[in-house]
Amino acid sequence: MLDLTQMYSEYFLEKSLLSVMPEAVLIIFAFIILLLGLFKSIKNGENSYYIALIGIVFSFLYLFILSNHTIHGFYGSIIFDKFDVFFFTVILLSGFLTILLSKNYFDTRNVLIPEYYSLVLFSISAMMLLVSSINLIMIFLSIEFMSIAAYILTGYLKGESRSTEGAMKYFILGTFASAFFLFGSVFIYAATGHLNLYKIHNFIFQQSYKAHYIYNSHTFLAIGLVLLLVGLAFKMSLFPFHTWTPDSYDGAPTPVTNLMATGIKVAAFGIFIRVFTSIYSFNILNFYNILWILAVLTMTFGNFAALLQTDLKRLIAYSSIAQAGYILIGIIAGGYYGISGTLFYLLAYIFMTAGAFGIVIMFENLKLASVDIKSYYGFGFKYPLTAAAFSFFLLSLAGIPVTSGFMGKFFVFSAAIKSGYYWLVFIAILNSAFAAYYYIKIIVKMYMVDNQSNNNSIADVINDSNVTVNNGQMEIIKENHVTSALVIVIILCLIFTLILGVFPQPFINFAAKSVTSLWNI
Amino acid sequence: MSIFLKYILSIIIFFPLLSALLLVFINKKAEGLLRNLATILSLAEFVISLFLFIYFKSNTYQFQFVERFSWIREFGATYFLGIDGVSLFLILLTTLMTFIALLSSYKYIKEHVKEFVILMLVLETFMLGAFASLDILLFYLFWEFMLIPMYYIIGIWGTGRKVYSAVKFILYTLAGSLIMLFGLITIFILHYNQTGNFTFNLLKLYHTNIPLTLQIILFIAIFLGFAVKIPLFPFHTWLPDAHTEAPTAGSVILASVLLKFGIYGFFRFAIPLMPEASIILTPVILVLAVISIIYGALVSIVQKDLKRLVAFSSVSHMGFIVLGLFAMTAVSVDGSVLQMINHGISTGALFLFVGMLYERSHTRLIADFGGLTKKAPILAALFMIAVLSSVGLPGLNGFVGEFLILVGSFKQYTVFTIFATSGIIFTAVYLLWMFQRVMFQDITNKNNENFKDMTLREIITVLPLILLMFFIGLYPDVLLSRINPTVVHFVNIIEHNKYAYNLIKAKMGLFNA
Repeated sequence: MLDLTQMYSEYFLEKSLLSVMPEAVLIIFAFIILLLGLFKSIKNGENSYYIALIGIVFSFLYLFILSNHTIHGFYGSIIFDKFDVFFFTVILLSGFLTILLSKNYFDTRNVLIPEYYSLVLFSISAMMLLVSSINLIMIFLSIEFMSIAAYILTGYLKGESRSTEGAMKYFILGTFASAFFLFGSVFIYAATGHLNLYKIHNFIFQQSYKAHYIYNSHTFLAIGLVLLLVGLAFKMSLFPFHTWTPDSYDGAPTPVTNLMATGIKVAAFGIFIRVFTSIYSFNILNFYNILWILAVLTMTFGNFAALLQTDLKRLIAYSSIAQAGYILIGIIAGGYYGISGTLFYLLAYIFMTAGAFGIVIMFENLKLASVDIKSYYGFGFKYPLTAAAFSFFLLSLAGIPVTSGFMGKFFVFSAAIKSGYYWLVFIAILNSAFAAYYYIKIIVKMYMVDNQSNNNSIADVINDSNVTVNNGQMEIIKENHVTSALVIVIILCLIFTLILGVFPQPFINFAAKSVTSLWNI
Repeated sequence: MSIFLKYILSIIIFFPLLSALLLVFINKKAEGLLRNLATILSLAEFVISLFLFIYFKSNTYQFQFVERFSWIREFGATYFLGIDGVSLFLILLTTLMTFIALLSSYKYIKEHVKEFVILMLVLETFMLGAFASLDILLFYLFWEFMLIPMYYIIGIWGTGRKVYSAVKFILYTLAGSLIMLFGLITIFILHYNQTGNFTFNLLKLYHTNIPLTLQIILFIAIFLGFAVKIPLFPFHTWLPDAHTEAPTAGSVILASVLLKFGIYGFFRFAIPLMPEASIILTPVILVLAVISIIYGALVSIVQKDLKRLVAFSSVSHMGFIVLGLFAMTAVSVDGSVLQMINHGISTGALFLFVGMLYERSHTRLIADFGGLTKKAPILAALFMIAVLSSVGLPGLNGFVGEFLILVGSFKQYTVFTIFATSGIIFTAVYLLWMFQRVMFQDITNKNNENFKDMTLREIITVLPLILLMFFIGLYPDVLLSRINPTVVHFVNIIEHNKYAYNLIKAKMGLFNA
């Protein structure tokens, strides 16, 4: 196992700082934005947007420079390894797309713009810290750091009741979840006497080899692990802990929704994989079965709820719950293939979700304010490229081949079958077939105007007249509100969704390389 | 030329996709240009695909024009293409029918022309890819994405309850293919457990040793995917809706190519991968096939809608093909493969004629027609040939296929074959009765007073099909000599597995005797 003495001998400040360099860069840039916000000319302009982008680029640069090193820092609380490289890339990409999506989004809304970008940078750096933590206290701190930024961002639309409601719900439930996490850490500490994941791992590993030794703290450890799972499941929005998701996703400004649905979820899965492979893998309490049930419930619930939605944002929120269920299958499958499949899926997931949210923002800018699916009549032929891109993202979310969504599902399902989870995969496949319906429903609304139903119900006729008005507005607003940043996001996501679906090899290599570093525990 | 022949399959597969990309850059308003260009490009595609026919070696069952490149190393998936006698003709059928479908839609498709031709060409790429791929993952990629363009074609350019039909079509087939995916992944993992290698190479997966119980479960899973496509009796309900509401070009492609994927899937994947299970389950499938034949025919008799009638006749005809395939004698499988081509040609032609009738009188109800012979003699004559080909008149293509199927099956499954033969009589009843009501007697509907005969374009559209009906009917050996080695090899694989079950008693060979 790991040589701890050698690890400790290397701790000095420079190395510690090096281990958090990509995060530190982001934090520095966040402060720069805050300071520059003092100047009036910068406050109202777009400069903070560009500074934020530059910050992300610099963080990428440092990530690239450090990518071949494994650095421990801060007395074993932080580790920077290949696993982090992958997750940092995904999180930074998600942040990059979020910032691009944010451009001009707040133009018509009366909010503070520099603070917004600095908060986004803070939350991204928190996500990265979270993934690289290997100490329970450090994990807790990062989760809180990340969540507080996310609470503020969710309620960023001052005066909009939905935004405030979402933030409030997220805040209250999130605090509970953090409490659960902390409580769990306490129990684990009581059982093992360690907070460092490696040491906990070593401790349990040694205990499990002592034959006939009745391990007194077994109950404590089990309780601790369950509570820890609750805390993390909340951030991953798995089924019984998902209730905040639809409301805060719906209420938050859409770029923030994108950040929550991609960045935060990816970070939560990242730390969950770290914790799971180091502690849960000993199968105290049979956690694989618990996760099995959680995965099935999450998929099924997410899909059923999404089916009933008429609001696009809520629909994608619920569908992202279902996606979390699919991602969990990879973790349950475990092993080299399961985890690398999960990582691939996460990478695929951020592109298709960000793309879909990009389209949602376009709709919002077009003043189809309700984002009601019914108001998409005829959209497909009015804006053929946008509609085609949107269909492609939806098909990817549904898991149709040639898209990244299929490849992700395929890798995850194969790994699960390899580990013998036939029923889980079967249920997941039935779920995908079921889920296809509500994605297709949107495509139907965009392309296939059903004349018969229009004439039958009054509601539809009223709706139709609204649409004609909206169509009139569309033409005018189009020039102003489909920004080039939005177009870049959609094109980027489109390209990556296609490439990941057709030539997944380099990305699979990347994911696999990062998984091997995880196995060095 | 040698490089061209080396990569000919890739060229054939991706040429339509590139054509579609080219069409993206043409102005939406230039509808005439779009139509002409798409049609010419699809004709060029057909001409290119003829090279396959010319350079195809007819004396071997081995795969030809093989291309193989690394694709996903991690999972042993390769870009692996190759064709044998069966996929050769299905590819030719696909390229021909796409050309004909595009040619037939000049008048029918009036709006969103650009989107339509692009989708047709994209669809062609994916159909061809599915026929040519020998890697299961690659096949699945092509196979499932194929649904999407078809879904758009039905949903956007269809008539009546098009949205309902399109959604029903995609959900049925998607559910089927996802369950099939489950089966395919399981076989892939089993092969890994046995050999320690990940591979999606179909030829290697053939050697997977699957325990019998699991084999039956997997066969059922994969069966569902293919049976929905065929469609076999209890899974057929999407077909009449999809066919009835689809535009003519959509119906033509659906009937002549898409339905063949079910049979092709059984031939290429399900039966060779799980031979024991398929031998054991043969009686069940034959019962379903015979039910399909008789049920489809009986339901066709009472249809009032022309298109629905042809759609149900497809269910009946596909039943014959399944019967021939699962009888698993060289003769009957030969007949099945030939009948796949024949059904594509005949039913495609029938849908074209129904489309022409609909374009002229905007109705598909049989009762609204009558006495058209006097107004449109050319239409009547050519329509008659198509109908007779579908009925199975000797001298036309339908007869050869059905005859081979019935002869080949008779010795193995006498009772089933006798029941199936009765289906031919019903076929004659519904098709000829339909023809009589539509074409003969007096004109009852005033709208048909000005009924116009076929235009030159329409004649060109159906002429290749009519010629092929005669050609295959009179000289089927051109096809059969190329199909036969593959089929004999296929039957040999099954024979190889027979000793345990002793189900197939003797190899019958009409052409290799």
